[in-house]
Amino acid sequence: MSTVLTIPKLEMSMVEGTLAEWKVADGAAVNEGDVIYVLETDKTARDIEAPASGTLTIKAAAGETYDVGTEIGEIA
Amino acid sequence: MSNLGIEPEVLKAIYGQMARIRAVDKAIQAGLSAGKFMFSYWPMTGQECIPATISQLVTHRDYMVTTYRGIHDQVGKGVDLYDLFTEMLGRTDGVNKGKGGAPHISDPASGSMVTTAIVGAGAPIANGLAFAAQARGEDRVTIVNFGDGATSIGAVHEAMNLAGAWGLPVIFLCQNNTIGEYTKIPDYTASKSFAARADALGFKGVVLDGNDPAAFYKGMKEVIDGVRAGNGPVFVEAQTFRIGPHAGVGDSPQHSKEEVAAAKTRWPVPTTRALLLDAGICTAEELDALDAAAQAEVDDALSRAMACPVTPATETLTDVFADGDSVPQRGHYPVRVAEVEPTGERKSMLMLDAVRSAQEIAFAADPQVFLLGEDVGDPHGGVFATNRGLQTTYGKRVRPTPIAEQAIIGTAIGASIVGMRPIAEIMFADFLGVCLDQIANHAAKQRYMSGSATHAPLTIRMMVGGGMGGFGAQHSQSLEAWLLHTPGIKVVYPSNPADAKGLLLSCIFDEDPCVHLESLMCLRGTKADVALEDYRIPLGVAKVKREGTDITLVTYGWQVAQCLAAAEELAKDGISAEVIDLRSLVPLDYHRVLDSVKKTRRALVVHAATEFCGLGAEIASTINEELWSTLKSPAIRLGADWAPIAYSNAIESAQVPNAGSIVARVRAAMKS
Repeated sequence: MSTVLTIPKLEMSMVEGTLAEWKVADGAAVNEGDVIYVLETDKTARDIEAPASGTLTIKAAAGETYDVGTEIGEIA
Repeated sequence: MSNLGIEPEVLKAIYGQMARIRAVDKAIQAGLSAGKFMFSYWPMTGQECIPATISQLVTHRDYMVTTYRGIHDQVGKGVDLYDLFTEMLGRTDGVNKGKGGAPHISDPASGSMVTTAIVGAGAPIANGLAFAAQARGEDRVTIVNFGDGATSIGAVHEAMNLAGAWGLPVIFLCQNNTIGEYTKIPDYTASKSFAARADALGFKGVVLDGNDPAAFYKGMKEVIDGVRAGNGPVFVEAQTFRIGPHAGVGDSPQHSKEEVAAAKTRWPVPTTRALLLDAGICTAEELDALDAAAQAEVDDALSRAMACPVTPATETLTDVFADGDSVPQRGHYPVRVAEVEPTGERKSMLMLDAVRSAQEIAFAADPQVFLLGEDVGDPHGGVFATNRGLQTTYGKRVRPTPIAEQAIIGTAIGASIVGMRPIAEIMFADFLGVCLDQIANHAAKQRYMSGSATHAPLTIRMMVGGGMGGFGAQHSQSLEAWLLHTPGIKVVYPSNPADAKGLLLSCIFDEDPCVHLESLMCLRGTKADVALEDYRIPLGVAKVKREGTDITLVTYGWQVAQCLAAAEELAKDGISAEVIDLRSLVPLDYHRVLDSVKKTRRALVVHAATEFCGLGAEIASTINEELWSTLKSPAIRLGADWAPIAYSNAIESAQVPNAGSIVARVRAAMKS
C-alpha cells in the first residue's frame, strides 16, 4: 500500500507552503520518522518526517510554492 | 511496592496508556504530514505522562474538563478511539456526531464532560460539576486540565476563588508546558510560582514533576484522595514540556533546538520505557507487545474512521435545541398551543413576588433546583428581593457567590450538564459583558458541540434597569440582541407578574439554557392577580394584550405598558391599535404576529433596545417578506437611539421609546 504525500496544513491560517528542499533523493528508501523534506510557511520552516517506510517517489520540484493538498510524492 | 515508590503493575499500566497516547499523536501527525486528512491539531507531545498516570487514579465516575490540547487527556480518560478519530475527522459516528471536533469532545460515558477551545474557560464549569457532586453527597472528583498560559486569564482566577470559598472537590490541574501558545514563560508573567496562587486564595497548591510517572502518581494520589475525602480544592502545577508547536506537526519552533533536544531526553514515553526495563519490571518483548497493541488499536480505529461518512449538512439544525421547532427558521412558523389559564386561588403581587413564587414552587418540586448569584441570600433575598425567604427555607440550595459572573455562570453550566436545575441570578443584564463567554460559547453551544451527548439546562435571571432613570449607561441597557444573535439560547422577557411566574417555571424546567430578563420597571411596577399554584406558560407563545384593527404594535418587556398607553392615546384619534406581547423572543411566535398583521395590515415593532440591528429589524423584515402583498404600508420599527443610555432623566426618557414617541411613529405610518 502506498502513502501519497501532499502539502500538509500545518497551521489554521496556512493555504500554501514552499517545498524548500528534499532531504532524500528520488527513488531512495526511507524509514518512517526520517526527515524527507523541509516545508516553509510564512511563519516557520519545518522538517517533515516520512509518515511511512518504503521507496520515495518525488513528484514535485523543490524551490516552488504549492497549495495545501497538492500531491508532491509517494512512499511505496 | 518496589523501590520506585509505585507498584510495578501500575507503572506498567501507566506506560500502556502512554503508548496509546503516543500512537494516537503519531497517527494524527503522520496523517496531517502526508495530507491524508486535514484538521487543526494542537499536539500534546511530551505531556503524555500526566493523563496516563491519572488514568490509574480515577474512574469514569470522576469528571474531567480539558482543552483543545487535550487529546492525551481524552485517551487517558477512556474515550473510545474510534469515537475520537471519527469526531476529529467530522464524521457521523463521532462521539459528538462530528459537530464538535477535537477541541470540543464531550463523552459522559467516560467522564470527559466538557472540552473547551477558550483558554481557561473550563475552570468555572468544572466548579459546577464539582458542586453537583458535593451537593449530592457523591465522592466524585472533578479534574480540570489547562495549560500554564491559562493562568493569565480571569476565568481561572474567578473559578479558583469560588472553589476555595465553597470547598469544592475540584483539582485545578495546570499542565505547565513552559509556553502559552507562542509566548514562553517569563514573557507573559513575572510570577515565580503558579501553585502559590492557590495559597493566596486560601487552599493548597502543589508542584509535581509531570514527566516522572512514579513521583507524579504518588503526588496525585495524595491530592485526589484528599479532594475525594472532602478536604477542598487543590491546585496542581504539573511540570512538563510541550515538544510540539502550538498547532500543526513537528517540533516547537518557539523553543531553541537545544531546548527541544534537552526536553526529548526527559520525554516521558521513552524514559518510562527505559525505567521499566532498567527496573526489571518488563522485558523488551513485553514493552514491544504493549506498543504493538496500542498501534493496532489506533490503526484499526483510524482506518474504520476514515471509512465513516462525513456528517452531512442535513444535520445543521439538529442539536441546537432539544426541540427543533424552537429554532428560528425563515418560513417555518409553528403554531404553539397557548397556556391553560390557572383556576386556583389568586393573590395580588408585584412581579418580584411572582418571581419568588415561581422559585418557591421549583425548589419544592425538584431537589435538583438551586439558586446562585451575588447577594441572593436572606435577609434581603437578592438586591431586588426576588428570592426573599428562599435561603431561610432551603439553606445551602441558595448560594450567595463572590462578585464573579463567570464563576456564577460556569458553576450553573457545569451543574446543569449533570442534571441539576440551576437558577443563576445576574444582578444587572449589563454584566453580560463579563460572563458572555460562559453564556455564548459554553451554555449556548454545549448541546450542539456535543451532538446532544450533553446539554446545559440552566436558567439565568437578569435584571434590566432601563426606564427607571438615573442608573446610567452601565446599568440601564437592553442587551437582548446580544443573546438573540447567539444560536442555542432561549430568551424570555415578561411584561407582568402572571407571565413572569409561568414563563420562569417553564425556563427552569426547560431542557435548554434560558435567559429570563426581568425589567425593574416591571418587577416593581404594577401589581396583578397571580395564581398561587404551579402553572407554566409555554415558550414561544405571544399574547394579544389589546385587540385592534388598524395597526399591530409588536413589543415585549416594559415597552408593553408604553404600547398600551400609546394605543389608548391613538384610540382618541380613531386609530385602533392591536398590541401583541411577544413574552419570549427565542422561540419567537411568528405565527401569532403574522396572524395579527394579516388582519391589521400594518405593523410597528417597539423595543427599549437600540433600534439599529435590533429585534425590530428582524421582525419588520419578516413581516414585509411574508405579507408584502397584503400590507397597507411597510412594517416599521422603533427602538432606542444609537447612544449609550444617559444619566440625565431628560435624555433617557427621550432616547428610549415612550407612549408619546410610539404614537408619533404610528401616526406617521398611518399616513403612508
